[in-house]
Amino acid sequence: MAHITLDIFRFDQGTDEVPHRDRVDIDVPETTTVLDALETAKAEVDGSITFRRSCRSAICGSCSMNINGVTGLACKTPCNTVLRSDGSIHIDPMPNFQPMKDLVVHMDPFWDKYTRLKPYLQPADRDEDHERERRVSPEDMKKLVEAANCVMCATCYALCPVVSVDPAFAGPAAIAYAYRFIEDVRDSKTKERLAQINDDYLWLCAHCYACSYCPKHVEPHDRIVDVKRRTVAERVHMDKPGPRHALVVNKTIRQTGMLAETEVIQGTVGRFNIRGLLKIAPLGMRMAAKGKMPPLFLRPIPKVDEVRTIYESLEVPVS
Amino acid sequence: MIKHDVVVIGGGLAGMRAAVEAAERGADVAIVSKLHPVRSHSGAAQGGINAALGNAADDTPESHAFDCVKGSDYLGDQDAIEAMCDDAARQIIWLEHRGCIFSRRPDGRLAQRPFGGAGSPRTCYSADVTGLVILHTLWEQLERFGVKVYEEYFCTALCVEHGIGTGVVALNMRTGELELITAGATIFATGGAGRMYAKTTNGYASTADGLGIAFRAGLPIMDMEFVQFHPTSLKENGVLLSEAARGEGAYLLNSEGDRFMFKYAPEKGELASRDVVSRAEWTEIMQGRGIDGCVLLDLRHLGREKILERLPQIRELALDATGKDAIKEPIPILPGMHYTMGGIETDIWGKTRIDGVYAAGETACVSVHGANRLGGNSLLETIVYGSRAAQHAVDYVKSNGAAKPSERTLKAEQERIDEMLARQEGERAPQIRKRLNATMSENAFIFRDEAQLRKACDDVKEVREAIKHVTVMDKSKTFNTDLVGTMETEFLIEAAQCVVHGALARTESRGAQARTDYPKRDDEKWLVHTLVWRTDGDPRLDYSRKVVFTKWQPEVRKY
Repeated sequence: MAHITLDIFRFDQGTDEVPHRDRVDIDVPETTTVLDALETAKAEVDGSITFRRSCRSAICGSCSMNINGVTGLACKTPCNTVLRSDGSIHIDPMPNFQPMKDLVVHMDPFWDKYTRLKPYLQPADRDEDHERERRVSPEDMKKLVEAANCVMCATCYALCPVVSVDPAFAGPAAIAYAYRFIEDVRDSKTKERLAQINDDYLWLCAHCYACSYCPKHVEPHDRIVDVKRRTVAERVHMDKPGPRHALVVNKTIRQTGMLAETEVIQGTVGRFNIRGLLKIAPLGMRMAAKGKMPPLFLRPIPKVDEVRTIYESLEVPVS
Repeated sequence: MIKHDVVVIGGGLAGMRAAVEAAERGADVAIVSKLHPVRSHSGAAQGGINAALGNAADDTPESHAFDCVKGSDYLGDQDAIEAMCDDAARQIIWLEHRGCIFSRRPDGRLAQRPFGGAGSPRTCYSADVTGLVILHTLWEQLERFGVKVYEEYFCTALCVEHGIGTGVVALNMRTGELELITAGATIFATGGAGRMYAKTTNGYASTADGLGIAFRAGLPIMDMEFVQFHPTSLKENGVLLSEAARGEGAYLLNSEGDRFMFKYAPEKGELASRDVVSRAEWTEIMQGRGIDGCVLLDLRHLGREKILERLPQIRELALDATGKDAIKEPIPILPGMHYTMGGIETDIWGKTRIDGVYAAGETACVSVHGANRLGGNSLLETIVYGSRAAQHAVDYVKSNGAAKPSERTLKAEQERIDEMLARQEGERAPQIRKRLNATMSENAFIFRDEAQLRKACDDVKEVREAIKHVTVMDKSKTFNTDLVGTMETEFLIEAAQCVVHGALARTESRGAQARTDYPKRDDEKWLVHTLVWRTDGDPRLDYSRKVVFTKWQPEVRKY
C-alpha cells in the first residue's frame, strides 16, 4: 500500500464563483489507477468529489482528465507512474472545456463537432435490405481499423492548441471520424464530407503533434494529414487558401529548395485575386520599407536535385 | 413535462437498436440514459456476435438454435431462441449496411471465428472491439434519425397508472431536477448488474437500474440465480479478456503446464461453454493446481502477428494491468462475474406483465440464455430483442394512443430523494455496497451450497435494512454522483435479493448454478423458470412459468 495525496480541482457551477483545490489523503496499492484512487477517495473520504467514469478498461472514453498537467484516461494511468516527489497527484478537468463540477466538464461543443459531420454511412444505393453483406476487401476494411478504435474520450481535443484559440476548429477527434467515412469504400459522399471538414477549418491544424498522445492509438494527427491529402487528390476546395497554401509551399520548395515567400503569398491568396492582394499590400510595403521584403524571384539552391530526389523517394502524393 | 411515443431507458446496444427501430417506423422516440450512449458498457464487449451466415463453414439457424438450447442447459425457451437465431443473419447484414466495421475474409464477406459451445465458427467480429464498433454504428443511426437523447438523466422510477405504464421519472443530473418523462411505451434496456459482486468484468455503471425499477413497480424478475462467471478475467481488476482468445486457439494451463480442459470437456477442451470452463478452472485452483489463485491463458503460440491483428485490445489490457505481454508470456486469469442470464421477465416481443412496459438486452429475461449464455449471443440478443421490443411497442402506441400522465410518481420520488438528501447522520452507500459485494463474492459464487446461500440471504437482508437509513454526503444539485451512486446501490440490493433467494430455492445444478449439495440436474422438478416477486420482507418465489419446448428434448449435456 502507498500513501497518496490527490490534489483535486474543485468547482460547482451551481454554487461557486471560483474554483478551489482540495488535498485528499488515501492509502491504495501502488499499482492502482488514478481512477480507482479517485473512487477510493470518493467512497472513503469525500462523497462529493465528482468525475465521470463507466468501463474502467479504456474503452468507454468517460474519464479523460488532466493528470499533473497532461490529459489522459484516468483508468489507464497507474498512480505510480505519475506520483510527484511529495507523494501527490494533481488532478484537473480537461482543458478546452467549460468545467461543470470538479472534473466533469460540458462536453456539448465536442459532440456538436461530430453532428456537423453527418456521422453515418451514406451509401450510393439506398436499398438497405440487401440479402447479404456488401463485399469489402480486408485491405479496405483495415484502413478504417485505427480510426474505429477511437473511444471519443476527447483527450486529443483537450490537448489541441488550435482548439484553445479557435473553438470553431473541428479538432482532431472529429477529423479522424470524418476520415473513417471518407476512406470507407461503402460511402458515397466523399466530396461532400471533404467539403464539410474543410469548412470546419481542417487547414487550421498546425501539425504540432499534441494529438499523437492518443490513449487508443488512433493517431489523429496522421488522419488529419490523410484527410488533407485526400482533399487535394479529390480537388475539393481548390479555390480556398488551405489547399492552395499547401500546394504552393510544396511547389516552391521543389523548384528552388527553399520557401519562396512572395510566391507562397501570391499562390495562397491567388495571383489574380486583386482584392486579396491589395489587402496584404500594406504589409508588403512595410516590409519593403524595413528592408525585409523577401526577393520576388528565387534562384534554386545549388544542389536542388537532391531536394527533388527526397520528394521522389517519399512519393509525396500531392502534385 | 417531456412527452414521447416511445421512451427507451438506456443507451447501449439494446436501447439504441430499439430507438432506431422505432424511429424507422416513424415513432417519436427518445432515449433516457445516465451516460452518453457511446459510454455504455456494450462498448466493452470484445469477442463478437453470432449469426449462422455460413461464411466460414456450413451453418444453419437451426444448428445455432440447438447450440443455444444445449448451452442453456435446456432452460432457455426454445421459441425465443429460434426467433433470435432466425433473425440473426438479417440483423448482422442490417448492421453491415449501416457501416459497421466488421473484420473480413479474403473474399470480402464477413469473417467468422469459433466460439465456446458452438458447433460451427459463427461469431462475426471486429478484431476484439466488436461491441465498440456496433455501439458506434447504432449511435451514428441516432444521429441520422435525430433521435432525442436525454443524456445524463438517471431514471429512478416507473410510472404505472391503472395498471398501464405511462413513462418514467428521471433525475436530470446536470440540474439536479427530477423530471416526468411521459411515454405511450417504455422500454428498459439498462444492461447488467455486475456491480453486485466485488470482482466483475462489468464497468462501474452496470448497476441493475432497470431491473430494480421494474422489481419495485411490481414486475417479476426471472432466473436471476443464473449468474455467468466468465472464464478469463484479470485478477488485478476483474477486466475481461475475450473468449476470442480461446476462439483463436489460446490454451488454458494449470501450474503443471497441463491443458487441463480436456479432463472436463474431452471434445471441446477450451471451447466448452463458459459455465463448464469456469468450474473447471475453479476446481483446478481449489485442488492446488493454480498459481496465486489463477490459471494461465497462453496465447504465445498464436504468434505476434495474429495477436496484434485480432486481439490487440486484450493484449494491451493485460499489459496495463499485469505488466505481462501476452505475446511473450502467459497471462494469469480467473473466473469473474460477467453476466446475468436472468432479468425482467418478458415474452418473445420484450413485453412485460405491465402494458406499455418492455425490456430488452441484459436487463431482460426472454429467456434465450436459460441457465447459461453462449459467448457471442449477448450482443445478438440486444440487437434482435431491442428491435423486436420496439416493433411491438410502436404498434402498441399506435393502437392505444398517448399515455395519460399523472404526477403521482414524480411527487413520491421527489419526497423520497429529498428525505434521503436531508438525512444528516448514518452510513454511506459505499460502505453498505462493500458488504453486499463481499457476501455475493463469498457466498453466491461459482459453487454454492445451502449454508452459503442462507448466509447470503441474511446478509442481503441486512444491507436492505441498512440502505433505508443511508446518508448522502454530497448535497449539491449539480451532477450529484453520490446521490446517483446511492440509488444504484439500492438497485443492486434488489437484484442481489433475486439472485440469492432464487439460488437457495433451486435445489439442483444446472448451467451456471452449481450447488455442491445438489450436484445433479433435476429435470423432473426444476425444468421451470424462477419468478421472483418483491415484497416488503423476503421476496416471493413462483414457478408457474414453464420452459417452452419446440424441437429439442433435454439430453445429458457434454462438451
